[in-house]
This record gives sequence, C-alpha cells and structure tokens, in this order.
Amino acid sequence: MRGRKLRTGLACACLGLMMAGGASGQTSDFGGLPAGPGQLETFGNCTACHSTMIITQQNFSRRTWDEVLTWMVEDQGMWEMPSETRQIVLDYLVTHFGPES
Amino acid sequence: MSDQKEERGLRELYDQDPERADYLAFGRKTETDRRGFLKGAGLTAMMLAVGGAIPFARNMPSGLIPSALADTPEDFTLFGKTGIIIRNDRPVNLETPAPLLDPDVTPIENFFVRNNGGVPEATADPEAWTLTIDGEVDNPLQLTLAQLQSDFETVTLRMQLECGGNGRAGFNPSPRGNQWAIGAVGNGEWTGCRLRDVLQQAGLKSSAVYTGHYGADPHLSGEPGRPSISRGVPIDKALEPHTLLVWGMNGEPLPLIHGGPLRVVAAGWPGSCSQKWLTRIWVRDQEHDGPGMTGLSYRMPRNPVPPGAEVPHEDMVVMGPMPVKSVITFPDTLTDVRADEAFEVRGHAWAGEHEVQAMHVSYDFGATWVEAELEPPTNRYDWQRWRARITLPAAGYYEIWARATDDTGVMQPAVVPGWNPRGYGNNSQHRIALNAA
Repeated sequence: MRGRKLRTGLACACLGLMMAGGASGQTSDFGGLPAGPGQLETFGNCTACHSTMIITQQNFSRRTWDEVLTWMVEDQGMWEMPSETRQIVLDYLVTHFGPES
Repeated sequence: MSDQKEERGLRELYDQDPERADYLAFGRKTETDRRGFLKGAGLTAMMLAVGGAIPFARNMPSGLIPSALADTPEDFTLFGKTGIIIRNDRPVNLETPAPLLDPDVTPIENFFVRNNGGVPEATADPEAWTLTIDGEVDNPLQLTLAQLQSDFETVTLRMQLECGGNGRAGFNPSPRGNQWAIGAVGNGEWTGCRLRDVLQQAGLKSSAVYTGHYGADPHLSGEPGRPSISRGVPIDKALEPHTLLVWGMNGEPLPLIHGGPLRVVAAGWPGSCSQKWLTRIWVRDQEHDGPGMTGLSYRMPRNPVPPGAEVPHEDMVVMGPMPVKSVITFPDTLTDVRADEAFEVRGHAWAGEHEVQAMHVSYDFGATWVEAELEPPTNRYDWQRWRARITLPAAGYYEIWARATDDTGVMQPAVVPGWNPRGYGNNSQHRIALNAA
C-alpha cells in the first residue's frame, strides 16, 4: 500500500480535475468489441445478459459459434434474433473470434 | 491466443465498461443523472482505496477510475481480490496466477472465482439463511444456518476445489467456456458440518441415489426463479464424511463471492458440484437433471473422440472425480536463475478422490525425471506440498515440467488429454520456462 498522505493528495488533485474537466474516457465503446459490420448487433444482442469478455476470449469455428447462438436461445433464455440479424452476428463472431483471428 | 489477450485487470474493465467496473469494484450504481451515487459499503471501499474521505463523492462521475488509483502500479480490488486474472466480469470469473497458489492454504484474496450466474445480494441476517432438504427423505427438513451450526458437529478441513474446466485453454480446437489456464483451483480451509449428518437426520429412503443442489444466484437472463446452475453428486459422494455444508473459509465467515453464507464443498469433483448460496438439496431417485447436468455441460464423451468432433448428447456422460494434477508455484515462469547453482522448485499436487503417491520434475523436456519430496495431506482432499532441488547444467533456456502420480499409478500426461466438446479435465503437466545464466 502506498502512503495515506500521497493517496489523499492524489485524490484531492484528481477530484479537482474531475470537477473541472468532467468525465473523460466514458464511452462504453461496445465493451471492447472490434469495429466492423455486426459490432452493434453483437453488442446489443449479447450484452443484455453477459459481458463481452466471454466473447473476446474465444476462437471458435463457424459451426461452434452457430451452436453457441442456438444454445443461448434454447438453454439460456436469450431471445430469438431475426434470421438476418443472427447471420450478421454469426459472421461478425467468426470474423473476429474465429479460428483464424 | 496471446497472454495479453487473456489477462485483464480492472483497469481494462474500466476502459471497456466503466459503469460496470464501478459497480463491481465499489458497489457504485449509476443513477439517472449519470452521477455515481456512492453510499454505504461502496463509498467506504472507495475511501479506503484512495486513502481518505471523498467530500464531493456525490458529484464524482460514475465509471471514472479514481486517479489516485489509476496512477499507481498496483491494481485495486474486485470483490476484495488481489493479483487475480479477470477471465470474465459478467458473470464474474477470476483465475489465480500460479505463483499466488504457493501458500498451503490459498488466501481468500487470491482464491479463484467461478460463477454461472449473477452474485446475489448479501443477506442481512446470515443466521436466518434457510436450507431445505426434500425429495427422497422420510422427514423433509428446513434448517437455518444457526441450526446447522448448533445441531450438527462442526468440522474444519483443508480441501482443494477445482473448476471442471481448469486448463480449458490448452484444448485445440478451442472448446466453449472461460479459457482457464492453470489457476481455477485453490485449497481452502473450510468450516461447516457434514452433509451426511444432515441427510441422516432427514432419513434417506432406499430410493435416494443422487443429490440436486439449488442456490440463490440469479440467472443472467434475469428470469426470476430460473436456476443459473443446479448440479449434484451421487449419494455415496454426498455421504462421504468430507462432503460439507460450509459457512466458514480460512477462519472467516464464508465470503459472499465464494457462496456465503452457505455452500456445499464436495472436494475432488468438479467445482460445480459445490453449489454456492445453497438454498435446497433435492434428494433424487435418479441422476439429477438440473441445468449443468445435461447436454454437453459438465459431461464427457463416453468413448474417446477426435479433436473437434460433434458428439451426440446421448454419447455424453456426467463427469466424475477430477484427475491427478499438480502446479508449479515457485519459481514463476520466465524467471532468471544461475547455472550450476541448486535452487528449489515447489508446488502442490492433488488427485480427485485419490492421494498423490509420487511427484517428479524434469528440466530436459521429459527425457529424465527427478523425484520430488512429497508431503502427506493434513486430511483427505488437502493438496500436497512437493519440493525438488534442481541444478541446471549450463546457461540457456530450460523448461521445468511437473508430473504427479496418484496412488493407483495414474500419471499426468505430458500433452493435453482427450479432447471433449466443453474442454473439461485437462490435467496435462504444468510447465514453466527458466533462463539460466
């Protein structure tokens, strides 16, 4: 642990900055999902229940991602996406979190 | 997958989802005006972290990492955890780096966390927490935590707890789930009563063959009453005298993040058998079929399958006890050592329902093995300390491999064992890299 004085000092300084500058760096930025077609659809459909961290640590084949999306609906209480949305999400996941990525 | 991609700290959480990070670290929920209204425990935690009062806490923007912390090299805490790898923040899944597994009893602040659902609200009155025992019993019971503590013999045991998916990151192709490396395991000192004593008071019918465990953790979908996970154990495991209903961990009341105020600890089996926030044990007349018991979850192929195989659900069977395994806790990987100078390599070993009988290490990629000194467990299911002294013959790159052998002669494999759809039971030898100079 650092010295209490130093911490208090830093806290005062940073509070001053916050008051003056407001909240910087506050954008959620799609939970760290990379930009590209399907980013919005993936973020919107998946993060209602869980964070993006369980997505970004995976490298799945198209078949496995397809199974995951089915499992989410059948076993995990996810809503059914319209089929074209589902395709966009699936393509996004395979592009960014597939075996080649 | 690179380590950089896997290993995340709270700082990264703040980068990705500041409001969530706020909530996780400090219990700060964002109000409609987007100011994080800090109060109660959350404000106290943040004050402790920054080292003083925060007079304008009401105005402090939500989702902003306090600069006093942002500028310090050490990470601050998530559920009181330090040095932990955040695999996932919703649900919360935290892994312990191997060097922090060095103590004989894993400190709470370093102990891994596995959740399938949300973390329930802390109860205001732990003693009134109620457990229901029903199903195939003569006298269904409703027992408060206070009754469990006063009416049954209290025992304290050191037992290791390991996630069924520990080591999943080693499988190829990558199975679904958190990509645990080696540290979804820990050795706790658990205080509670024997599940056996409680089941005997309820009176097991001859039809009782399995338990079904239920907890208070909310499902991620938010659907009320939907269990996040409900697994169980064969009745023989439930009656095994080390299977406990636990309310204490390492001499403290069982922390919320570890299932407090009441959980099961069924050591040697996949951690998911050790239900957290326990509310009910349904004694079954068949193998339990709650969420996490069926399909591909916590199941292994009945017969070995090639990597990446599509296995029909009817060819999958429930996972049994965890396999023999060990971890190198010292030195850390990528440490520099001196050639021609002896040094200690050490760690722990455990073996599901068995005891570890022998421990060996190799520094020549498995060509030759040095027997390590192995300590007995303090009680069954305690992990066992091992130590070896090694001298590396010349300067250069070495790997230390560690191999445990259980009391039936079964050893850890050098390579990742049988692929399975969800990536369970990887007990391949732990390896570290050393540079000798």
